[in-house]
Amino acid sequence: MNWLRKVLVSSIGKKVQMGISGLLLCGFLVAHLGGNLLLFVPDGGKAYNEYAHALHTQKLLLPVAEIGLVVLFAWHLLLALTTNKDNADARPVGYALQCSKQEPGPIAKPASSVMMATGAVVFLFLILHLADFRFELRNHGSEGEEPFAKAARLLKDPITCVGYIIGTLVLGYHVLHGFQSAFQSLGLNHPKYTPLIKQASFAFAILVGAGFASLPLWFGMISRH
Amino acid sequence: MKLDARIPSGPLDAKWDHCKNEMKLVSPTNKRKFDIIVVGTGLAGASAAASLAELGYNVKAFCFQDSPRRAHSIAAQGGINAAKNYQNDGDSVYRLFYETVKGGDFRSREANVYRLASVSGNIIDQCVAQGVPFAREYGGTLANRTFGGVQVSRTFYARGQTGQQLLLGAYGSMNRQIQLGRVKMFPRREMLDLVMVDGVARGIVVRNLVTGEYETHAAHAVLLCTGGYGNAYYLATYAKGSNVTAAWRCYKRGAAFANLCYTQIHPTCIPVTGDHQSKLTLMSESLRNDGRVWVPKNPGDLRSPNEVPDTDRDYYLERRYPSYGNMVPRDVASRAAKERCDSGYGVGSSAKAVYLDFSDAIKRDGVASIKAKYGNLFDMYAKITDEDPYASPMRIYPAIHYTMGGLWVDYNLESTIPGLFVLGEANFSDHGANRLGASALMQGLADGYFVAPYTVGHHLASRKLAKVGTDHPAFKETMYNAKDRVEKILKVNGKRTSDSFHRELGITLWDYVGMARNEAGLKKAMEKIRTLRDEFWQNVKVLGTGDSFNQNLEHAGRVADFLEFGELLARDALTRNESCGGHFREEYQTPDNDTLRDDTNFQHVAAWEYTGEGKEPIRNVEPLTFDEVKPIQRSYV
Amino acid sequence: MTAKLNLTLKVWRQVHAKAKGEFKTYKVHDISPDMSFLEMLDELNNELIRKGEEPVAFDHDCREGICGTCGMMINGQAHGPERLTTTCQLHMRKFKNGDTIVIEPWRARAFPVLRDLVVDRGSFDRIQQAGGYTSINVGNAPDGNSVPIPKTQADPAFASATCLGCGACVAACKNASAMLFVGAKVSQFALLPQGQPERAQRALSMVAQMDEEAFGNCTNTYECEAACPVGISVDNIARLNREYIRASVCSNVMP
Repeated sequence: MNWLRKVLVSSIGKKVQMGISGLLLCGFLVAHLGGNLLLFVPDGGKAYNEYAHALHTQKLLLPVAEIGLVVLFAWHLLLALTTNKDNADARPVGYALQCSKQEPGPIAKPASSVMMATGAVVFLFLILHLADFRFELRNHGSEGEEPFAKAARLLKDPITCVGYIIGTLVLGYHVLHGFQSAFQSLGLNHPKYTPLIKQASFAFAILVGAGFASLPLWFGMISRH
Repeated sequence: MKLDARIPSGPLDAKWDHCKNEMKLVSPTNKRKFDIIVVGTGLAGASAAASLAELGYNVKAFCFQDSPRRAHSIAAQGGINAAKNYQNDGDSVYRLFYETVKGGDFRSREANVYRLASVSGNIIDQCVAQGVPFAREYGGTLANRTFGGVQVSRTFYARGQTGQQLLLGAYGSMNRQIQLGRVKMFPRREMLDLVMVDGVARGIVVRNLVTGEYETHAAHAVLLCTGGYGNAYYLATYAKGSNVTAAWRCYKRGAAFANLCYTQIHPTCIPVTGDHQSKLTLMSESLRNDGRVWVPKNPGDLRSPNEVPDTDRDYYLERRYPSYGNMVPRDVASRAAKERCDSGYGVGSSAKAVYLDFSDAIKRDGVASIKAKYGNLFDMYAKITDEDPYASPMRIYPAIHYTMGGLWVDYNLESTIPGLFVLGEANFSDHGANRLGASALMQGLADGYFVAPYTVGHHLASRKLAKVGTDHPAFKETMYNAKDRVEKILKVNGKRTSDSFHRELGITLWDYVGMARNEAGLKKAMEKIRTLRDEFWQNVKVLGTGDSFNQNLEHAGRVADFLEFGELLARDALTRNESCGGHFREEYQTPDNDTLRDDTNFQHVAAWEYTGEGKEPIRNVEPLTFDEVKPIQRSYV
Repeated sequence: MTAKLNLTLKVWRQVHAKAKGEFKTYKVHDISPDMSFLEMLDELNNELIRKGEEPVAFDHDCREGICGTCGMMINGQAHGPERLTTTCQLHMRKFKNGDTIVIEPWRARAFPVLRDLVVDRGSFDRIQQAGGYTSINVGNAPDGNSVPIPKTQADPAFASATCLGCGACVAACKNASAMLFVGAKVSQFALLPQGQPERAQRALSMVAQMDEEAFGNCTNTYECEAACPVGISVDNIARLNREYIRASVCSNVMP
């Protein structure tokens, strides 16, 4: 299996893994967002609570999914860090001046050049999010609190609310480039479909960014629930 | 000096086969015992290095550029001729042969030209197999275009970048051999001298242009593929690094230099804009397929070209040469432009330009069609001149573009020094006094892929070559000579830059040994060049050291050789008392200002022999015989 | 005729590969707008020689935008501000009187500086040697028309083949990646029938050599495409990725 190792550590091999892990994480985002949007169902949180309980009763699936997500995320992160190091090494002496030659266009262009920075923000946001919801390291709720009530309470916290809005918007910006870039890295490029992929990437970024940000915005700033 | 062209016997179309059958072969197991040096990696050099390595020889290849892929063959635009007759328009090997001999104004060897024409088809096959992306028809077959001086479509092309694609093909083949360990590549090396042992070429001295170190390399044969000498004129369409140094040093070691006066002036170049100009840019003559050349009928007409009505325009090529029109050969088109400008009809701020007008073609075929054919040339023109050639006509003027002269070689491409082969533009052989468009690529690749692999083998198999290594005293001695010369340049420490000497030489050559020459002017040029050369050695200023990366020193060394070469160029032009092809002597012209040959006295190759520093060279003569083709007055009317 | 230009140049000077380099400031006067950028540097060098200072070393050869020899960072942009233009085809009319121009060499570990603005691009040659060809000996070629190649296939292969090997893609890439260069060459052969026999091996070998030369990774920022003087498209990079996946996963060739 020496060949597989060679492929996996090659520059393109790493990009391919980056793309695959990124797309899988995008898939997770869709599922997560789908569940979260149940918070908006105007039934006093019933739908969301049912969804959350159903999820937590999966005694086998949930830990597997959680471990899978951790591995996926760590994989994505590790690839980012190693390629970033390779890239820094590839130019030991930098330029005194460097300017882009690309047409100054829609916001999509700079997104590609700040993936490490936006990734780092998303990482911080993820720590905050897990600390709040998964491990409940701060803002402890009362025993037997229903999931809907917990979400509403946590999002009222000003730090959480602002942190989540920033974090989710940056996440949207990250996937704005990441989504379409994954297709390029996987070689899925076609004169007929690439423009569609680019548009889909734009739509997806808005969906993710606005979708997730709408929750802290609603529960933290607008709703008096 | 005896010039034996070694032309094989037998009928014209059987000579090459005959020759191949007679040549001695090196057995496959013995090939690896032979080392071959190839200097220059353009089409001729790269193709020769690749094919010789494929046969099993050890090849060492050298170029002064940073990569073999950058040799100036890369700049050839228009295409490559081959007698494939894919267009079913009556083309044949004979017709390509005939048109090349006629285009060369009956100053080339019939046997060489016939061989060139007969291998032309193989070249296309070879290049296609290499993955050269030639232009194709929608159905998938190879496309052709037509070129100046011919009446069939036989030119294969890759948009305006044919030379680039062919060179990258040859470079790829050579790369494969580098990877296999059969070619060792030495980039950024300048050949400074040829090492002779017992009268045979056995090695070279090069300077490593990065470290300044001198290196010697031994071999059983040396192939010189170092291109032409057009940069003697300073303003030329050559690459800035193109030079005559390697060829000139071989001349001084005993290789005859032939037909120097046959220099080609290309009609469709972008005119000079000012004194700062460092080179001229050519646009493929394929532009003349659709462009119409004209000047105003009234001298000094200051109207912008679009305001000049058809009635006030003189389409002088169509007027003078109704059957070929704008497609006359390069020398004819160039002289006609010069004639119009000298008579006061020139256009543009310098009045040294004529119009090349595409408005009729655009009206007929549409902008899109013209863009598809010539887009990159139009872009190039717009970039350099800041004018839009789609909206108003281009301005063009002739410029030095190719040199038909070069080191004398026999039918086997071997110079007068045994073991020294000369390929491509560096030799004098196939184009006579004028080269037809799209034939340079053909010749370079024919020499490298299909001729040298046989003839070099014959040299190796038929001569007894003693074992010679770089420890032989001749190597050390030659290296010290080369080194001394470089150091001498550094020691002058005068006031003028090498660039200013080069410019002055260029102006002298252009004025007196340019498109039109005469006895008094040529004598004056020789005198001026001698004076300039003396001044160079007393007043040139080169900074830095010899043991470092020193571009200024590289250039000065090349200029020093051009200053010697330039005098021989003028001398050759002075002694050829006739006009033919690219050599136009004002004293010898027809009533219509066309070239007037003197077949009785000058139907020969003039090959110059070096006799020593400060001594007059000897003009040797190789008579040309025409058995198949009857020399006629070229007519494109 | 536009007015002549007076300019300030900040040029990277470095005596040899191991020396420490620095920027030096020079003034040039009466520069014609019709000059090319390299002619402006010629002018500077002639002035320097007259003053007894060693001229600025820079690579150049054909000066008509095809050989790929020239190339430098001009005000932070590979080959300067004009798109689809090599340094030798950049003209001074694109600058204004009084401008300061910062001139640096290509910077990448795989392109070490040899002197001043001259870098060693031997890494590009070595990548080509690893597989940028078809293995066909002279004398073996079938007739040129024996395999029809539709124009719709020949044209994209040609577009990929026009790469000059100048290195601007590497220079402009924030990661000093050579993916556009390698992508162009692999694409040319992947698109043509002649390239099929060695298709898998070529992609694997050329990428392995690219990695060995220590170029950076592609992060799809597409700055290379904008800097490329002949407009090689990033589609070539996608195709390279595809070819590499195909070769490593689907073919029986061992990487």
